[in-house]
Amino acid sequence: MPLSVVVQITVSGALMGLVYALIAYGFQLTYATSKSLNFGQGELVMISAFVSLTLLGTGLPYVVVVPLGILFGAGLGVLVERAAVRLALQQKSEGWILLTIIVGLFLVSFAENVWGRDDRPFPTPIPADPIHLLGVDVTWLEISVAVGVLTIMALVEVFKRRTLLGKAFEAVSADRDAAELMGISATRTVTLSYALSGAVAAVAAILVSPITTVGPTMAAGLVLKAFSVAVVAGLESGFGVVLVGLVLGALEGLASLYIGSGWRETPGLVLLILALAVRPTGLFGKPIIRKV
Amino acid sequence: MLTITDLHAGYGRSEVLVGASLEVKAGTVVALIGANGAGKTTAMRAISGTIRPTRGEVRLAGARVDGLGAARIAGLGLAHSPEGRKVFGPLSTEDNLLLGAYSWLPHFFGYRNKAKPALEHVYELFPRLAERRAQLAGTLSGGEQQMLAIGRALMARPKIMLLDEPSMGLAPVIVQEVFRTIHRLKAEGMTMLLVEQFASAALGVADHVYVMERGRVAVSGTPDELRRDPRVLAAYLGAAPVVAPAAP
Amino acid sequence: MLKRLILVRGAEIALFVVLAVVPLAVPSPYALGLLTLLAIYGIVLIGLDVTVGYLGQVNLAQAAMLGLGAYVAGIATTRYGVGIPLALVLSGAFCTAVGALLALPALRLEGPQFALATLSFTALCATALNELEWLTNGAQGLQITRPLLLGHTLDARDFFWLCIAVLAVVWVAMRNLMSSQWGRAFEALRDSAIATDAMGVGTYRHKVAGFAFGSGLGGAAGALYAYNFGYLQPQTFVYELTVILLLGVVLGGRKSLWGAVVGATLVALLPNLLSSHLLFRAFSGIAFVLALVAGVRGLVRRKPNDQNAFRALAPIVATFALAAGSFLASNIEDWRKAIFALMLFSVVVGLPEGLMGFASSALARLFRVAPPELPPPASLDVVLPAQVSDGSVLLRLDGLSRHFGGVRAVDGIDLTVKTGTIHGLIGPNGSGKSTLVNVVSGLYARSGGTLRLRGAPLRGGSLMAAAKAGVARTFQNLQLFGGMTALENVMVALRGAWRVPLPLVLLGLGRREERRGQAAGLALLELVGLRGEARTRAADLTYGAQRFLEIARALARRPALLILDEPAAGLAQPDILRQLEIIRRIQQRGITMVLIEHHMDVVSELCQTVTVLDHGKVIAEGPTEQIKRDPKVITAYLGAAEPDAAPPAAVTGAS
Repeated sequence: MPLSVVVQITVSGALMGLVYALIAYGFQLTYATSKSLNFGQGELVMISAFVSLTLLGTGLPYVVVVPLGILFGAGLGVLVERAAVRLALQQKSEGWILLTIIVGLFLVSFAENVWGRDDRPFPTPIPADPIHLLGVDVTWLEISVAVGVLTIMALVEVFKRRTLLGKAFEAVSADRDAAELMGISATRTVTLSYALSGAVAAVAAILVSPITTVGPTMAAGLVLKAFSVAVVAGLESGFGVVLVGLVLGALEGLASLYIGSGWRETPGLVLLILALAVRPTGLFGKPIIRKV
Repeated sequence: MLTITDLHAGYGRSEVLVGASLEVKAGTVVALIGANGAGKTTAMRAISGTIRPTRGEVRLAGARVDGLGAARIAGLGLAHSPEGRKVFGPLSTEDNLLLGAYSWLPHFFGYRNKAKPALEHVYELFPRLAERRAQLAGTLSGGEQQMLAIGRALMARPKIMLLDEPSMGLAPVIVQEVFRTIHRLKAEGMTMLLVEQFASAALGVADHVYVMERGRVAVSGTPDELRRDPRVLAAYLGAAPVVAPAAP
Repeated sequence: MLKRLILVRGAEIALFVVLAVVPLAVPSPYALGLLTLLAIYGIVLIGLDVTVGYLGQVNLAQAAMLGLGAYVAGIATTRYGVGIPLALVLSGAFCTAVGALLALPALRLEGPQFALATLSFTALCATALNELEWLTNGAQGLQITRPLLLGHTLDARDFFWLCIAVLAVVWVAMRNLMSSQWGRAFEALRDSAIATDAMGVGTYRHKVAGFAFGSGLGGAAGALYAYNFGYLQPQTFVYELTVILLLGVVLGGRKSLWGAVVGATLVALLPNLLSSHLLFRAFSGIAFVLALVAGVRGLVRRKPNDQNAFRALAPIVATFALAAGSFLASNIEDWRKAIFALMLFSVVVGLPEGLMGFASSALARLFRVAPPELPPPASLDVVLPAQVSDGSVLLRLDGLSRHFGGVRAVDGIDLTVKTGTIHGLIGPNGSGKSTLVNVVSGLYARSGGTLRLRGAPLRGGSLMAAAKAGVARTFQNLQLFGGMTALENVMVALRGAWRVPLPLVLLGLGRREERRGQAAGLALLELVGLRGEARTRAADLTYGAQRFLEIARALARRPALLILDEPAAGLAQPDILRQLEIIRRIQQRGITMVLIEHHMDVVSELCQTVTVLDHGKVIAEGPTEQIKRDPKVITAYLGAAEPDAAPPAAVTGAS
């Protein structure tokens, strides 16, 4: 296998890995406030993609559709929180695992029937021709994915570290009751975190759809890998997610090159199980102290 | 400023608080003492909204607040420094203080400037916190965490402060420091409701004292009255070690 | 008053007789096929129920186990001519092993991480089955030759009876398992994982074993599944199937064998339900009406808060969507995933205990059933033999410390506890008493210093190691197994000859040991005066009784060292006196105790030596009377002496 091909595959894979990282950020946002995450996050991405596609189909310009799509994603996130998460959090149970799975399943079916089961292309003003950069072929699309992902990540990091609301997120997760005593409404904070998570999912949808095309099953595979990234990096670390995403993407590219395209999924899954065996709280995560 | 009437509250099946009534007048310090398990902390939590009272009334500055939920009550001017301090471990000292002022600071940007005067007031009261402003709150010593908890409550610019067992787990020398601060806050006119195991220090700073026993207020009076009351000793010291110097 | 045994067994026997006889009465091959599927899914769901019902975790791997078992059996028969009995064993064993391997990492954390790991596993399996074409024939599918049972071919009816027989065996084995110490362990680890470990019952190992067992059942069912259809495709055993299986368990009812069968009926009938417009409309209409009735009742009866409003209204909305959809949609099949989702949503939110849960509480109200009699209590000498108390050193701490970030909760403590004594540990709130005891009992690892029990170093940070070494404890905030009866709480902790090996349990041969265990438990309950409450749920006991129960449970460990963490907290005077009596009786048996207390009268009455802690350090130690007069102790409790904070002059020595 010529080196240039290996490098090419690795780089392309790594760029895709950034998308996993972006979706993983969506998980981190909700985990940050409520230690919960949306098992149907992939479906959120998919529906946002379809809605954006539909909006584009009505003739609205791309620059208008993007913010609308993000707003829709945020709204969908709030819906998930209200329908599937709030009850379980109030009961201090983990029922949201099953409930978010259910919501996701519903959304898939909804999409299949409203938009059909076929994959559709997503029109984008960004050209798909490759350019030669540092000895590797990358398309503008892939670059836009990287730029978009890194921008969102920067925004999320700024939010978490620089805004008071971001600190409030961390406070709610550290000690919900104490946060309430500060005047921070835990419920509203959680809802907001789900809205943000939905918005991030919508951004991921807009960035990725031109590459993967839009279909009811487009995100199923993506999300499992995003899970792996989130768990392996630790559900609380920001930059760890980017790192793990890049590595996972690269590994997947190599796996499909050397073992076969059907095995593309495998590194992520194996990585997940191994990480859980070795360090359950994630490579960059913090240990848990039990109270009696 | 704060009135509670016939308050009932508990956890699950057990009702710990069974009809407590007390009053805190503006500008005064009221102490709530009593044996372990008498219901003092439960009362505090019911007042601040951390738990929901099952019966009774809580009035803050005349308005009813029982059942409103902790976040709203905090927004109305009640700051509660909880038992065990409960500082936000993964956040820095300064972040903890900033969050204390959440109810009146802008939530996105520009909060640092607006918070400056309040922060400086707190750092002046607690120089040790100023030294450790960037340190993670979880790594502070017990005494420093207590100061942080009080500072955090102060940042809210509250109408009334609830202090729950500030002396708990602290060395005597630190406790002295904490109570010096409480005296200073009193001098500045802060209204406070203080729950304390360390009865004598509480009696030393309070304008009025309530003794709780088995979920209700058993005795009420000024510190001097209480020091002379044998019932107080029975109720308060009933579960604490009996200290027996020879009777005078 | 009917004897419970007759009623329950009778119903079970009736079920299997009816199932076995139906094909004789109704000669429809279609019905036979449906019943066969019912039996197979019943086995799958019983296996899934172990993790979902008993362990309370969302398990997304059962469809994969079904697939793996199916392929193992299919390949074994088609390529190597393996007969049915061996194939069943192979599938079951393979999936048990795989389940154990998956559970070891996956169950180290619970909740979402576990669900994710099982989800990943399912995806991994689907990939493997698809890609390993040389073994499985990949996406083209695997044709399976008809298997032989001991040399004979089976027609459809014989095969059905085989499936029923396997279901019956699994049913009995599960029933035996769940009514043994295993069932108790599963229940206990759900109520309090910490207490379960502290009582020497390994939470982790039981979870792994449970998951492996459930997976094994899925695998065995897979073999039958393969033979039933005669043709396997990897794309069957995917996420959607796993959700359908979850639907079956949740709708049927968790922790219930009958629930698994009810759920299996639904899963088997699902395709039929979806193919007939009329049937589906009727079904969804009924579901909507039920949800409406239950929702309104719920709103009226329960407290008007956010939670209850949602629990009442959400199922109504979901079933309405189902009913409306049944009339509006032209093709129901296309919406199958949405239909499953709405059904599962309604059940999870509106009927969390499932149909069987609902039915059994209704039945319990109709029939009063007498539980089987308990044996007489065993002799206390057998259960809690008297120990040698020669005053030798039992527990020794040297410079023990424990830090949490910057807080030095325990700061270099030396402590010696002699056998046969009751050693008091007092100090103001936050002085480090509970932390110290948590280190000794293994909840926390130590940050420094040494810890020796009977001269041997005690491995820190492990509740199980401490329990094994002979440390037992009660908790400051009760950690009872609330859902279990008082007797069961004690039986979980029993140490000694009352443990029965697993194979015997499954065969139902653990009955005698079970009764001996009950007798032992009763003896301990009698010691603390709770014999009459043996059958009461721990959560329903009075607070005082709960405190005593925790002591009885700790004694079941036959500990060398018993740690009592504020046992009198919140007790009224008469209960305090009872507790003194209990503790004295324990001391008579030579058991060494460490007692943390705030009630000085309790400490005075019981303790020979008292250690006083303050700020994580020892500030005084000695006989109780001496301690009470120690000025350092007085200072610690009443604070530094300041001119305006002098102890009130009227303090007397009254107790």
